[in-house]
Amino acid sequence: MSADVMIPYTTEAAIETYGDGADITVIAGGTIVMQLLNYRRMAPERAMLLSKAGMSYVNREGPTYTIGAMTPLSDLIGLAAPLGPCAANVADHEIQYQATIGGNLCAPTPPEHPSGDLQGPLIALRATVRSTGKGGIRRDGVEDFLANKAGRLVLDISFDAPQAGAFRALNRPHTRQFTALAVSGVRSGDKISLAATGAGPTGIRLASAEALAADPAAAAEAALNDVAMRDDSLASAWYRERTFPTLVSAVLIEIQEGS
Amino acid sequence: MKAVGARMPRYDGVGHVTGQTQYVDDVRVHGMLSAKALRSTVHHAAITNIDTSKAEAMPGVKAVITSKDVPLLEYGHLSGLGIPADEPLLAKDDVRYLGQPIALVAAEDEDTAQAAVNAIEIEFEERPALWDVRKAFDADAPRSHHWGNWYTHFEDEMDRRQIRKGNIEQAFEDADRLVSGVYRTSAIEHVPLEPQVSLVTPEPDGRLTIYSCTQALYFSLAVVAAHLEIPMNRIKIVGGTVGGGFGGKVDTATETITALAAMKANRPVKWRWTREEEFLVSSTRAPWHMEIIDAVTNDGWILGRKMLTLHDSGAYARFSPYGLTKHSFHHTGAYTIPNLHFDGYVVFTNRTPSTAMRGFGVTSISFAVETHMNRIADILGIDPYEIRLKNANRINDTSPNRIRYTDPSTVDVIHAMSNATGVELAPAYAGATRQPREGDMLPDHLVSQLKTEGH
Amino acid sequence: MNIRLNGGTVDIKSPPLTSLLTVLREELNVTSPKRGCDQGGCGACTVLVDGTPQRTCLTPVAAVDGAEITTIEGLGDSENLTAVQQSFLHHGAAQCGFCTPSMIIAATAYLDGDGSAEPEAIQEALKGHLCRCTGYQKIISAVSAAATKSEFDLTSMTASPNTVILPGGDT
Repeated sequence: MSADVMIPYTTEAAIETYGDGADITVIAGGTIVMQLLNYRRMAPERAMLLSKAGMSYVNREGPTYTIGAMTPLSDLIGLAAPLGPCAANVADHEIQYQATIGGNLCAPTPPEHPSGDLQGPLIALRATVRSTGKGGIRRDGVEDFLANKAGRLVLDISFDAPQAGAFRALNRPHTRQFTALAVSGVRSGDKISLAATGAGPTGIRLASAEALAADPAAAAEAALNDVAMRDDSLASAWYRERTFPTLVSAVLIEIQEGS
Repeated sequence: MKAVGARMPRYDGVGHVTGQTQYVDDVRVHGMLSAKALRSTVHHAAITNIDTSKAEAMPGVKAVITSKDVPLLEYGHLSGLGIPADEPLLAKDDVRYLGQPIALVAAEDEDTAQAAVNAIEIEFEERPALWDVRKAFDADAPRSHHWGNWYTHFEDEMDRRQIRKGNIEQAFEDADRLVSGVYRTSAIEHVPLEPQVSLVTPEPDGRLTIYSCTQALYFSLAVVAAHLEIPMNRIKIVGGTVGGGFGGKVDTATETITALAAMKANRPVKWRWTREEEFLVSSTRAPWHMEIIDAVTNDGWILGRKMLTLHDSGAYARFSPYGLTKHSFHHTGAYTIPNLHFDGYVVFTNRTPSTAMRGFGVTSISFAVETHMNRIADILGIDPYEIRLKNANRINDTSPNRIRYTDPSTVDVIHAMSNATGVELAPAYAGATRQPREGDMLPDHLVSQLKTEGH
Repeated sequence: MNIRLNGGTVDIKSPPLTSLLTVLREELNVTSPKRGCDQGGCGACTVLVDGTPQRTCLTPVAAVDGAEITTIEGLGDSENLTAVQQSFLHHGAAQCGFCTPSMIIAATAYLDGDGSAEPEAIQEALKGHLCRCTGYQKIISAVSAAATKSEFDLTSMTASPNTVILPGGDT
């Protein structure tokens, strides 16, 4: 473990150190990367520790939130649904103090369990991601970012506060470290946005359900077309398929009732 | 014995709450090496080639141990109970479960040890694996074990644990109904907070000091001595605080292999398992498959029980024949059934080997028996408390293996439950006691199983 | 790199990505935080970092350069047990003891943050800490009691209502 470790003290320094992202391992909170190091799944030669780069903040300007990539999940718990309850549902307080929104968004997806708990809420919020890497700084919709996140360093994430939001997760004690299956919903005006975590390798928009949002029961059934459930160590695809519609309809009912 | 029921502080409590209690991984010895294992990456295969030369040549590597280094490769840990040896300490000709240890490397640090493990060349020729205990008896089943697919060394070389009592055919004839059920329990991991670990120091006087997390110090001492073919007085085994065992630290899983590495390197060696190894490789409570057919009367007597148990021993026997034997003695649960026909098999599959866990052999039968009682109660339309009180063990009733019950607590426990749950029992049942059966509680069919003296 | 460990400053020689757990246990011989899983899943490695409970197995030591690290050795010792330590002893809240140092660290931080004596709140605060021995009840009782009491009787061999005094035994 004789890596070169760089510790930038400003965001600008972090951007410059990251460069085009080649041959550099970013360590945010450490809750994901350190597991991989401990188990010798990776042996980086160059690493960048972001804990001192001043990238932890929650700013609000009018309706728009901008959250620094290094903001710990514990700072998100007070935010409205779906993001707040999703953060509160992750593991336990110690992990929440250490894990960051940027690290969680970019979590790799092993076959054993879902990852990237916050991807669902951020998709539902239609968040945008400001990142740096090859070609410099740019802003992407979160779904585009997730499809192209290799070689990108997240700087901050923005979204507008929703008029109504909801988050529903499977409550299974033995999976408490992980979000085995969850649905996030957001209403802005009369536009409904739905996304799922744990229903596939990454967070995913439930477009078929959105199209039928006025009828929660129909939307719940249609949502199964948007996902590819898989067996993993937390739950079987069979179980997920049977519990998923309940989560979808509960979220839709709640965001339509909320003002 | 003046302290029974008194409140006493634990003698090790202060150590625990101040962080001073010492566990094996807390022990550091000068010159200590770290070890990592080469483990099978397949479920079932012949080992066609193994070459450790690259590992041995690596700087920082001080010893590589394979089956060739083990003086007595196979030693039956329960040979004292008549269970013959079947499991090599390190795999030699084949591997029979995923993660089975094949070699151990001791090096200056864990990174070096792991790199050396990765440099061992090994070739497997895969064989079909047997997963389902129910298929073990098929003529075309994959062969999981060199003895065949099930254990054949019970007394008189029987291939099953068998209990026969009374006359099961008569019971089935006399029954008003037959109630059947199939019950299956899963493997359970012990998950002690402290993963498996041992530290062995070769002493200048030729003895070995073994720091072990075993639950059974003298037992492990004897196992190590047997594999190493050295007298027990050459070993000093230091136990102490086990960071959770629950039956999972009785396999002597690390001590002998670590000792061999320490002897070969002539330096202390510590081998500690990761949590991943604990989950993937460490032994588990066995899965059980139990089939019960009870001959019952309409008024709730269980005249007879016919039962088949398939115990999934995984790839090797370990303690399974012993566990199955205990299971068989308890197959009527807390109830008295006079006519019995029990057959139990220890089945070998290509799963992780099974071992003891709290209530070894008996938790499975408790689950099956109690669920089956509810089933009978449901089918007959009888209250579940009353059917239990009727059939409950009483003084002078006998167990499946003819042990006389001198003071069974079944009736009192059921009363405690009905009190706690606010269930009101009919007077005959509220007044039940553990005293020897008489009157309505002693129908003809229960007379012959009584035993009024001795054990 | 250096850390302030239980009040004293210590230089760190291990490489910067070494986990704080490995630094404490292997370099500094502070063995109270335990290596239960190396994945942040069990909580047995938790210590206080600048007063906040944190998983040392998930913390690269470079991230705590200059930080205040408090392990259970820095809370109390056998001559001067803290209220939480006394309460654990009094309630029998440790069996094998492997989870105990980190459990006490987390409980101490919880109570220092004005955590209430409510069992649900304690359970929520400590939910990252696994125990395979006790079934958690006595741990929760111990923390709950320590929320309101600071001294506990540790010496008595007093009879409980269920005491059976056997013949010749009550001297």
